[in-house]
Amino acid sequence: MKYSAILIVLLLVAAALIAGCSQQQAATQQPSTTLSQTVIKVGVIASLTGPASNVGTNMWQSAQVAADKINADGGVTLKDGSKAQLKLIVGDDESTQQGGQKAATKLITDDKVDILVGGYSSAVTSAYEQTIAEYKVPYIVTGASSPIITHRTDIDTSYIFHHCPTTDTYGQYTTMFIDQVVRPAVNKKLGTSADRPFRLALLFQDTAFGKGIQTAVNDTITKNKLNIQLVSQQSFRMGESDFRTQLTAVKASNPDAVYLGAFPNEGAPIITQARRDIGLNTIFLNAENNDNAQFYKDIGQYGEGAVIESRYSPYTAPAGAVADAQNTFKQTYFTRFGTYPDMMGASTYEGVFIAAKAIGNTGTTDKATVRQALVDLKMPQVIEAMHDKTISFSPDFRESTFDLWMEQLSYNATLGETRPGIVWPDNLKTTDFVLPSWYVAGSSS
Amino acid sequence: MDNLGIFLQIIFWGLYAGCIYILLATGLNLIFGVMKIVNFAHGEFLMIGAYITATLFFLTGINPYLIIVLSMLVLIGIGAVVERLCFRPILGTGKLNEIFLSIGLIYIFQNGAAMIWGDSWQSVKSPYDGITVPVGSLFVPLDYILIMVFTAVILCGLYLFLTKTKIGMQMRATSQNRKGAMLVGINVERIDVISFGLGCSLAAAAGTLWIVSGQVFNPYMGSIPAIKAFAIIILGGLGSIPGAIIGGLLMGLAENGAAFLLGGIWKDAISFIILIIVLVVRPTGLFGEKGE
Repeated sequence: MKYSAILIVLLLVAAALIAGCSQQQAATQQPSTTLSQTVIKVGVIASLTGPASNVGTNMWQSAQVAADKINADGGVTLKDGSKAQLKLIVGDDESTQQGGQKAATKLITDDKVDILVGGYSSAVTSAYEQTIAEYKVPYIVTGASSPIITHRTDIDTSYIFHHCPTTDTYGQYTTMFIDQVVRPAVNKKLGTSADRPFRLALLFQDTAFGKGIQTAVNDTITKNKLNIQLVSQQSFRMGESDFRTQLTAVKASNPDAVYLGAFPNEGAPIITQARRDIGLNTIFLNAENNDNAQFYKDIGQYGEGAVIESRYSPYTAPAGAVADAQNTFKQTYFTRFGTYPDMMGASTYEGVFIAAKAIGNTGTTDKATVRQALVDLKMPQVIEAMHDKTISFSPDFRESTFDLWMEQLSYNATLGETRPGIVWPDNLKTTDFVLPSWYVAGSSS
Repeated sequence: MDNLGIFLQIIFWGLYAGCIYILLATGLNLIFGVMKIVNFAHGEFLMIGAYITATLFFLTGINPYLIIVLSMLVLIGIGAVVERLCFRPILGTGKLNEIFLSIGLIYIFQNGAAMIWGDSWQSVKSPYDGITVPVGSLFVPLDYILIMVFTAVILCGLYLFLTKTKIGMQMRATSQNRKGAMLVGINVERIDVISFGLGCSLAAAAGTLWIVSGQVFNPYMGSIPAIKAFAIIILGGLGSIPGAIIGGLLMGLAENGAAFLLGGIWKDAISFIILIIVLVVRPTGLFGEKGE
């Protein structure tokens, strides 16, 4: 019996050793690694905690929807026709610069990701760009909208690609809308001549994002010699929740409209406090990041008549193929997470597709090669309307170009919320811009 | 709007902001006065109070001005537990321990709230949303009048509690001389628990009034108000409740005046500029006594 036990143990040890050798042999017999047999690691930098967690969670979940779709379709199609699977790894920037630095460093050095996607706050994203430059990892920024992301010259930004409109772009676009649509409507309401200067007030976050909008508006007015007079330019601290005093100052300047450079958690209270507490019954124009479901919920009936510059909305889309693609994305996302994706989620969804396409085109994860693939990239638009229906990056600052639109909100009493209708440009619009009956134009007196 | 109207409106917004600060700072001062502890996590009790009121409001639809009482009672309980489990063991072991403990509590409460309620911004619509009341030449929202009335009522109640009840008098005695209070037979540990709970309940009232005014809130909302509350109690004088009231009002008025005259980015800075001036000119604060 004793010998039998010893024999069994020896046999087990021998079997284990043989198995180990077999495995070792199998491992060493593997052919040299090709991309088609590995996993492509995509790092997603998003604010999962902290003040921007609402948007950040949306970005991370949208990236997952994209990766799942790509993998379900067989994976990334490589140059030689073979396939590779995507693996997402998230880095939480904690909505802070230090958190962003930590997340980027971990993804690059510990997780050894092949490419990065994400980034929301411009202040946070710009804080860890030095790390991106140092390790030369291709990074598709899908949320931070300050142009400094790729325009800055103090560090090498050549590995950074900007897949969201910058404050320069939409600040200019919104200002042109004011000049071409809002100004004539106000003049018509007042019965004044077309040369009456339009009285515009700015209320913006005291950050790169808010100041970027301020600069864009000022530059657009000067460059195009627009008949718009900036009657008030007020700033506020990021994350502020009580805007009544600044709004009192804005109201004292008698504006025809107010352009807000604010995040959704600021934009909704600004408009609510302005209309409810201050009696500032004017048109509020908002940056595109406000076009999300939480904003519509928070603003309630006070959003009536407000305008949002947009490229993706939870509640509307320009007619055509993009609308169908957006609806599919929204439904897939809703089925999985029970909510609808927002704009930053949409561009992050596309960011994963762009990453997959660039790596697929080269058939390698070599970072310099992937970077060049992004420079040379020309791929069909995914879910957002792009210029020429193509996603590509400009040769100077590596920025993609979106087709933007302006939408105006109207109150739906059944829902208890406002819903948007596209009012500009003419080729996309679904309804006309109107001045609400309660609207009060500014006066110089 | 004429210049007088604008001036009055800024004063009004300052008074409203001052009400929130007064409640927060008075609670903090009550705790400091009795226990002499520095609790940087006081803003988190404001946040918890806000969430409790909001949750009950969302679930039941009961008027949030009525829920304020319940929210204050819950925070008395939470405050008592925190005092008993966290602060009492380290009482008298040095300010550094208190500071690190309270910083730890900030993270625990913030992350706990984020786990329970999520960390996206939320807002509450008051039942009186959109109703305005004529006050002189101004039309001001009814909610702000109610906020000022509630603050006054709570402060009057606190005054009566401290001056007319036995426990209130024991709290004042402990605040004035802890050893003396022990010698005359006051159970100072019991007074510590009550003071801490009461201070937290005032923070809960501030949190409730914060949200009914239409301001958005999330788990991280308490940090800045807590810092300002500290500035207020230093400004008014450590341990002085009248100082906290005057300091809170001054802070609210100064912030809103600066935001109007100098711009929104000066809103926070002005409070600390005033604080530095007061500390240089009168280091004990406006109503403080030497030795605090």
